[in-house]
Amino acid sequence: MSTFSSLCRPALRCLAGIAAVAGLAAGDSKPLTIWWAQWAPADGLQQLSEDFTKSTGIAVKVHQIPWSSYQDQVFLAFGNKTTEFDIVVGDSQWIGRGATKGLYLNLTSWLPGAVDLKAQNPQVLRYLCEYPGGSGNYWAAPCESDAVGFSYRADWFADPAEKSAFKAKFNRDLAPPATWAEFKDVAVFFHRPEQKRFGCALLTGRGYDSLVMGFQQLLWAWGGSWGDPATFKVTGKLDSPQAAAALGFFKELMAFGPAGATNLDYGKSLEAFTNGSTAMAMNYFAFAPGIAKQMGDKAGFFVMPTQDGRRTISLGGQGLSISAKVPVERQEQAKKFIAWFLTEPVQRQWITKDAGFTANTAILKSEAFRKAAPYNAAFADSLDSLQDFWNVPVYNELLAAAQKRLGEALDGVKTPAAALTELAKEHQDILTDAGLAK
Amino acid sequence: MSAARSWDERGAWRWLRFVVLAGYAGIALVPLLWLALTSIKAATDTTSTTARFIPAAESAVSGAASHSFVPTAAGWTGLHTPLPGSPATFLDFLLSSLIIGLASTVAAVALGTVTAYGFSRFRIAGGKDWLFFILSTRFMPPLAVVAPVLLMYQQSGLTGTHLGLILLYTVFNLSLAVWLMKGFIDEIPRAFEESALVDGYTRTQAFFRIILPQARTGMAVTAVFCLIAAWNEYGFALVLGGQGAATVPVWFAGLQGNISGVPWPVVAAGAVLFVTPLVVFAVLVRNHLLRGMTFGTVKG
Amino acid sequence: MTTAAAPGGGGRSGSGGWGAAAVVAPALILLIAFNVFPLFYNLILSFTSAELGVEGWTWVGTRNYQRVFERPEYSAALRTTALFVFLAVVCELALGFVLALALHRRFAGKTALLTALLIPMMLPPAVMGLYANLLYDGDYGLLNQIISGFGVAPPQWRTDPAWKLTAVLIVDVWMWTPFMLLISLAALGSVPRHLYEAAEVDRASAWMVFRRITIPLCAPLLALAALLRTTDALKQFDIVMAITGPNDQATQTVSALLYQGLFADGKVGRGSAYACVVLVLVIALATVCTRYLDWLARRQGRGA
Repeated sequence: MSTFSSLCRPALRCLAGIAAVAGLAAGDSKPLTIWWAQWAPADGLQQLSEDFTKSTGIAVKVHQIPWSSYQDQVFLAFGNKTTEFDIVVGDSQWIGRGATKGLYLNLTSWLPGAVDLKAQNPQVLRYLCEYPGGSGNYWAAPCESDAVGFSYRADWFADPAEKSAFKAKFNRDLAPPATWAEFKDVAVFFHRPEQKRFGCALLTGRGYDSLVMGFQQLLWAWGGSWGDPATFKVTGKLDSPQAAAALGFFKELMAFGPAGATNLDYGKSLEAFTNGSTAMAMNYFAFAPGIAKQMGDKAGFFVMPTQDGRRTISLGGQGLSISAKVPVERQEQAKKFIAWFLTEPVQRQWITKDAGFTANTAILKSEAFRKAAPYNAAFADSLDSLQDFWNVPVYNELLAAAQKRLGEALDGVKTPAAALTELAKEHQDILTDAGLAK
Repeated sequence: MSAARSWDERGAWRWLRFVVLAGYAGIALVPLLWLALTSIKAATDTTSTTARFIPAAESAVSGAASHSFVPTAAGWTGLHTPLPGSPATFLDFLLSSLIIGLASTVAAVALGTVTAYGFSRFRIAGGKDWLFFILSTRFMPPLAVVAPVLLMYQQSGLTGTHLGLILLYTVFNLSLAVWLMKGFIDEIPRAFEESALVDGYTRTQAFFRIILPQARTGMAVTAVFCLIAAWNEYGFALVLGGQGAATVPVWFAGLQGNISGVPWPVVAAGAVLFVTPLVVFAVLVRNHLLRGMTFGTVKG
Repeated sequence: MTTAAAPGGGGRSGSGGWGAAAVVAPALILLIAFNVFPLFYNLILSFTSAELGVEGWTWVGTRNYQRVFERPEYSAALRTTALFVFLAVVCELALGFVLALALHRRFAGKTALLTALLIPMMLPPAVMGLYANLLYDGDYGLLNQIISGFGVAPPQWRTDPAWKLTAVLIVDVWMWTPFMLLISLAALGSVPRHLYEAAEVDRASAWMVFRRITIPLCAPLLALAALLRTTDALKQFDIVMAITGPNDQATQTVSALLYQGLFADGKVGRGSAYACVVLVLVIALATVCTRYLDWLARRQGRGA
């Protein structure tokens, strides 16, 4: 790589030799290793993989890493000569970086022959597996497809006293809101801080990506966008009046949230709902099984509301990508696992696990799936409205800038319009610097 | 008349001193007390909107507004419950911290003592400049070396190994070890060694039989400071420790943003267990704290 | 108070030569390998397109430096760090000195109290930062429950942009005031008693004694303390990571931004360029600091 590292390599290799001794003994029988973030679906994948081990004799280990450092640990590991994982369940935004920097194995020639791609939801394929989207170049296979949705307090909504009070105030029935305007009414209605009851919890966390995932659904629905995916032109889209109106509305909703509503990551939004204080909480459906378990009949689920008839939802979930930095034998084993995982019988098992959300269209459409859990119908109805943030190699710089500027707008440091104008400039600059925008 | 007034003034000053000290001690020590209390609470008692600080038997606890809680050992037993999906528990991370902390401390003190002895007893070309260079490495911000060190480690397979972090912490503590030990060795009268040399000891024998026993206190003090630095380090452990050599601070940081909420009783129990040795050591070397924190330039 | 002998001033007895060189060489080689070599490596990287996990890189000239000076976040992080360091050092020094004045006299239980007060300085900042979140929580945090108890509307420590940096600062002040206290005590102890006695004879007011005797004679050691803390506070990373994460506009210090750029973005080349820019500033500061330590050691060495 450089004269410098070649100079110091002998000395360091000597040290590495000592370091490797301990690892060697275990190295030969190392199971097929999958890295995923620390949450329930990963437990499900581990359980499911026992069947794979039974039929093939290949042991599988799903290693979970805390969400807060998951991305950084994965890309740090990619810096090593070989990665500890054979398969990484990579976030949707990572795919451009994985594909173009030689980190993910190119699956284009293998995947279509090994897996029935026609059975998969096309939006999920486009965002989780292809790069660039629609190119037919595959870098991942669907693992957990996910969407943002809402959980709500079914017991409060069903309370006759609440129902009549709502009807008297808004002249319509109290029901899960279909539009954002209705959503705000319901949030206002249930917001009673003196009783420690709050209207809504939205995704606004400043960590990795939760604020962007929460806000962009309104951005698109109001008619704005992150930019033109073909020309990478941002200005005129992200700094449009529609975008500012969307952010303004999003900010208004902060007034009906619990303490610290302007900084709720996935865990905090979940906590706001499960501690029984909040009427409606935004989160990924992956958290729904946990909510249903904890809250029972008190929890219901609904699809993202619409604006002017438009429904747009943040895509979540992740694909299975094979590390380009492990030996070919291990890559072959990884392929075997992926092909097995995406067969229909296994996918039917997968959906029985917590948040084991398949991308298999036939399964998703089946009545059996829709009725199997209280959140399944809302999840299935969300899939056709999915969109994602930029997934270009510089996604993380774009994400970091967006998190900061949107955060400033919510904090009241900048007006929505000013924050978006500055953000559009920054995004254009980053995309131009990366050689994407002309 | 004037004597009486000055007596009053002294009384006032005494009161002021008392208020300042008691006030500060209260503010500074409450968080530590609260940490200990949190470690014996149930998770729901840690996030209650009325502070619960009175340990009580079950019968005495009444309602949400109560300030009492029923003590439980759940936080402590949680320390040997694995995190989901990983076979590792807090105790595994603690073992990692112990291996790295102890090994790097022994290495830094040993190397520091020998080097300090060299600078103290021999005429070395540019000795003063070398000592100055050693000191200046202590002020180097880690951010200036973290990228190259990471690339070096990734090239040589040292990421995710205990050895990698042991080496790094040893080097980072060297400057402190050399400077502290030089101060201590300078204080050992040269006559001891010289008479030993006259008696036919070799330099090496004199070092081991005369200098080392005399420098024991200094080595213990130096060891405590090296251990604290290695024990508490977070940034490099996060970046270089990977999955194989992650230390306790990395374990704690991983609980931040945990999707099922931060398990506060476990965090508190872990924190109490993790800092207790530090507090004990600090008490043991309390008379030398100042010396350690100022590279031996100021002796308390 | 006594101080160590000046560097290099101790030994003149042993012979120099290869034996002596062999004794000190291992430490020097290690320090060069892990401190000097990486510095040059870093400098080289800063002119390349190096990225984390990507094989090979190309020379990009001064492009990384241009980006560092163009993009607003780099200068913003420097300003945030400067503000943080200034506030931290001033608060800690002032508080530590006041406490030292109160603790200076002998009284029963002084040693026990002092030892207890010094504990926070020993604790791991990353862990205390995480724990602080429990105390800061807007809903169930102990701190806000106490503040509300006084009838004051408590701030949202972790979400209000005006309070986020303060939240980080408070943890830092809590941890490092004991250090200032310790040095201040040593400084007060170093003032010769006879000066105070002479002042009493002259019937000087307490304020005069404080201004003309205590402050000037304590100043060198207090300056030393401030310098040591400054170089340390410049590295602030652990507490910021724990309380707001590395990417919050209000608290993004230089180290947090560098973490974000190097490891989250993977932009090693540009991160290295930024590290070089920061390093130039830090070296200037560190030079002042080490020279001062050296000067102090020599001056005290002569005086003792």
